[in-house]
Parts: sequence; C-alpha cells; structure tokens
Amino acid sequence: MSDSYVIVGDGIAGASAAETLREEAPDAEITVITEEGESLYNRILIKEFAKGKLPEAPISIHDESWYDDHDVDLRLNTLVVDVDVENDAIRTHEGETIEYDSLLLAIGGTPQQLPVENADAEGVHHFWTFQDARKIKESVEDADRGVIVGAGLLGIDFAAICGAQDVEAKYLMRGDSWWRYALSNEGAEIMHEAMRERGVEPVFGSGVDHFEVDDDGHVEAAVDPNGERYECDFAGVAIGLDFNTEILEDTPLETDDGIVVDEYMRTNVDNVFAAGDITEFYDTILGERAQNGAWGSAKEQGTIAAHNMIDHGSEPFEWVSSYSITHFDFPFLSFGHPTLGDDSVEATTDEGEWRRVALKDGRVIGGVLIGDLSPQSAFKQLMREKRDVSGQRELLMEPGFSVDDLVASTEH
Amino acid sequence: MAFREEGRQMRLRRTGSVPPDARVRHYDELAEASQVAVAELADRPRTAPESADLEDGDVVKFTDYYRIRAR
Ligand SMILES: Cc1cc2nc3c(=O)[nH]c(=O)nc-3n(C[C@H](O)[C@H](O)[C@H](O)COP(=O)(O)OP(=O)(O)OC[C@H]3O[C@@H](n4cnc5c(N)ncnc54)[C@H](O)[C@@H]3O)c2cc1C
Repeated sequence: MSDSYVIVGDGIAGASAAETLREEAPDAEITVITEEGESLYNRILIKEFAKGKLPEAPISIHDESWYDDHDVDLRLNTLVVDVDVENDAIRTHEGETIEYDSLLLAIGGTPQQLPVENADAEGVHHFWTFQDARKIKESVEDADRGVIVGAGLLGIDFAAICGAQDVEAKYLMRGDSWWRYALSNEGAEIMHEAMRERGVEPVFGSGVDHFEVDDDGHVEAAVDPNGERYECDFAGVAIGLDFNTEILEDTPLETDDGIVVDEYMRTNVDNVFAAGDITEFYDTILGERAQNGAWGSAKEQGTIAAHNMIDHGSEPFEWVSSYSITHFDFPFLSFGHPTLGDDSVEATTDEGEWRRVALKDGRVIGGVLIGDLSPQSAFKQLMREKRDVSGQRELLMEPGFSVDDLVASTEH
Repeated sequence: MAFREEGRQMRLRRTGSVPPDARVRHYDELAEASQVAVAELADRPRTAPESADLEDGDVVKFTDYYRIRAR
C-alpha cells in the first residue's frame, strides 16, 4: 500500500510541500485541503492587483489542472474542523473523515480585528486573501478618503494601495514612527516621507478608539483615542495575525502562538508536521524558537517538511528570511529577525540610504536596509556563519561592506 | 524545465504595462543570487549572467515593473 499524505492549506507552504512530495514519492496518495475557493495564487502580488497595477491572470500559480496533472486530490472550500492524532484522521466541516499516514498543517494565520466599536463595519478591510484584495480594490476605487491602522509591513501595503488609487489617507499610528520595533525614527522618516509623497499622511500618537458608521452601516469616520475624528469611506486594518490553531485545541499537539516544531518541521507527534507562517520553529541560526512571516521562508519550510515527512531528520530548515517593500522608488528590505536582539548599529550611508543591523551576543541576527540593498548577501552570510562581529560592528555600516573586510580586520 | 542556453546575459527594462500572459515574479520570490542581480541591474544600463530562476520575458516586481531580456 502506498503512503498517504494529507496537507491542510494550499498557500505557498502547503503547495510547495505537495510539489516536493509528488517529486519524491511518485506513488504516494496526496490530498490538499483548503478553506479557500481557489487554488494556490501569489499572495505577495495581490496588493499589486488591489493597487490596480496587475490583472488577475498572472497572480495564479497553480490552476486546478496542475492538481490533476500531478495526481493530487484538491479539496477547495473545505474547512478542516478537527484533527484526531490518535486515529490519524482529520474531519471536515461537512463531516467527512480523511485518514492519513502523515499530516502537514500549513494553515497560516487570520488578520486580527481591532477590538473597538464598528470594527466589522462595511468599508473596514483586512487583508489576507485574493477575495480580500478584490473587495479592497472595489472599495478603494470608489473612495475619496481613507484611514489606515497598523504600523507594520502589511499596513504599508494599505498605504501604497491608497496612494496608487488616489485616495487621500491618514495613517494612524500609536507610536511616533512606522515599524518602531525594527527602525529608529531616522530610518522610519524615509518611509514617512515616501508615504506623504503619495498622499498618505502619517499621524503619530494616534490609533482608533472607534469607527463611526452611516445609516447603511458603512464606515464614515475613525475617531482616535485623543478624540480626533478622521472622515473616511475606506479603512484598512493590519494590526497582526491570529494563528489558526483553534482546530488543535483538543489535541496533544504543542502550540504557543503557532504550532511548535523542531528544525525538521515536525511537531511533538511523530507523523504530524507543520510549515509556513503557522510554525514556531527551532531556528538553528538564532539558537532559539522563532517565527517567520515571509513567502520565501514559508516556501522553504514546505519543501523541508516534505523531505522530512518522507525521511525524518534528512534535512533541517536553515534559512535567513527576508521581506521587501517595493512600493516606492527606492527599495526596502528587512532580513532575519530585525525586531529582536540585545544591541544594534545603524547609519545613514548616503542621501536616502539607511541601514540598521540587530545583534545578539555579538552576532548579526537581522536588520533593515533602505535604499541600498547591496550588503544583503554579506549580512545574510554573517548570520548563516554565526560570525562574532563584536568590536567590529561599525564596519557593518561602511557603504561597500563585504564579509572580507571583516576577515581582514579580524586577522590584523 | 525550459532549455537554457549557456552564457546568456540578462538585463532589466522598465515596463509600463504587464501582459496578461507574462510570468510575473515578486522580488521576494527570487533566489538570493537573483535578488542581488535584480537590485544591481534595475535602472542601470548593465548586464549580468542570466539567473537560474528568471527567464527571458519574465516580469519582476521590484521598485517598478521590469521585464527581463536575456540574450
Ligand atoms: C497582503 C499581503 C502581502 C504580503 N507581502 C509579502 C511580501 O511582500 N513579501 C513576503 O515575503 N511576504 C509577504 N506576505 C506574507 C506571505 O504572503 C506569507 O508569509 C506566506 O504567504 C505564508 O504562506 P503559508 O502557506 O504559510 O500561509 P497562507 O498563505 O496563509 O496559507 C494558509 C492556508 O491555509 C488555509 N487554512 C487555514 N486553516 C484551515 C483549515 N482549518 N482548513 C482548511 N484550510 C485552512 C487558509 O485558508 C490559507 O489558504 C504578505 C502577506 C499578505 C497577506
């Protein structure tokens, strides 16, 4: 009898696992189950669709024929409601039971709602799926004024969408700068200026106390905790994700924020694996448990999980994640874990060029590059090699920094 | 996998419109070496060896939309 693999989630993590399993286990039975009504698409390009810059077609990655061609049983519009690890089976919302030899949970997260009045009103949007993107596009095209909440990587997508669709927007931030956990004011100001140029005004020391709605229940204003009222016919909220672990509540599977896995993507139950945004994995580079929320990392975790589902221990996940912002005429890249660490070094290296490197125990663990991405490979290499750079941190700020500079100075 | 000629050089051209049948790649989907090449070639009259995960005609979303020409 051939092995049967069941994958829950057809995002990039689940889909890359399916691809790898099919390549390496040609006779296996593979089932992919997704709550969404469409098969794998490019989640990191749906913002371009909402901006009106990209048609739908190039966003699809696997059309349904891909699953037929690869002999993968795809179940769309199917929510898994229960996992029964004692009996190696899952149950769907329609009451169907599907048994597995090995299970992969690639179930990602769901955007959080603001815990305020009218947070679910018409015109208040969250952003995760292609369906969300279609609604956002429709709503933003009719809007004149917008409000954005959530000073992080997804919030800035809403800012770019408003900018591209000529919606005048206020970007309400609780602190005094965008992504204050990874950037200092100096770096953030480059981003603020880019937003302003697109008609999006950052408002600091603000946030949302409640939304006001019109008689039809459509959002018409956001009121901040200072009592300031910002009229809007569109609101974008991106304050974080809840990881989709509810279906595991009555199981012995270890969860924290996400599903806890080792560096082989295996949970505490031998034949259950997890991959992608949902994992809290053992990061061999950082030396502790971590979470990534990026496309490249999710794809790699799916591939690694598949290898280890076939042969546990065959390949660990060793990866420096990165995430770029490509909305402006200068590039932005964050890598590794820029919000962690016990030390950091930062510099403006040229006009409009800024970088910050986060360090832990004298080692590079992440950072942010604005304007000049040329040191990205060098910094990622230092992370992978776990190089001790204490005493030489200023060298990291040199405009043409390369790893060899460090070797030379170490040898001196 | 499409047949790939050895030794081809690629360059990037800004493109105003994206054909519906083009393969569009976001910068974050690319392998590290291709990311380095794209950041290096964008808006510069330079060429670099063709990357393994980019093909002639691909469109890359970086700070703008760029079309890959590999010859
Ligand atoms: C708007 C937006 C912009 C982004 N931009 C970037 C970017 O520029 N660069 C970057 O690197 N990353 C970006 N990301 C993050 C990136 O998209 C994610 O890290 C990545 O897609 C995660 O993939 P995944 O497969 O782990 O999870 P997901 O893609 O979230 O897939 C999980 C799937 O599981 C399904 N599912 C969950 N629970 C169940 C259940 N019980 N039953 C059935 N199905 C279930 C969900 O419906 C979903 O389809 C962006 C994300 C968004 C939303």
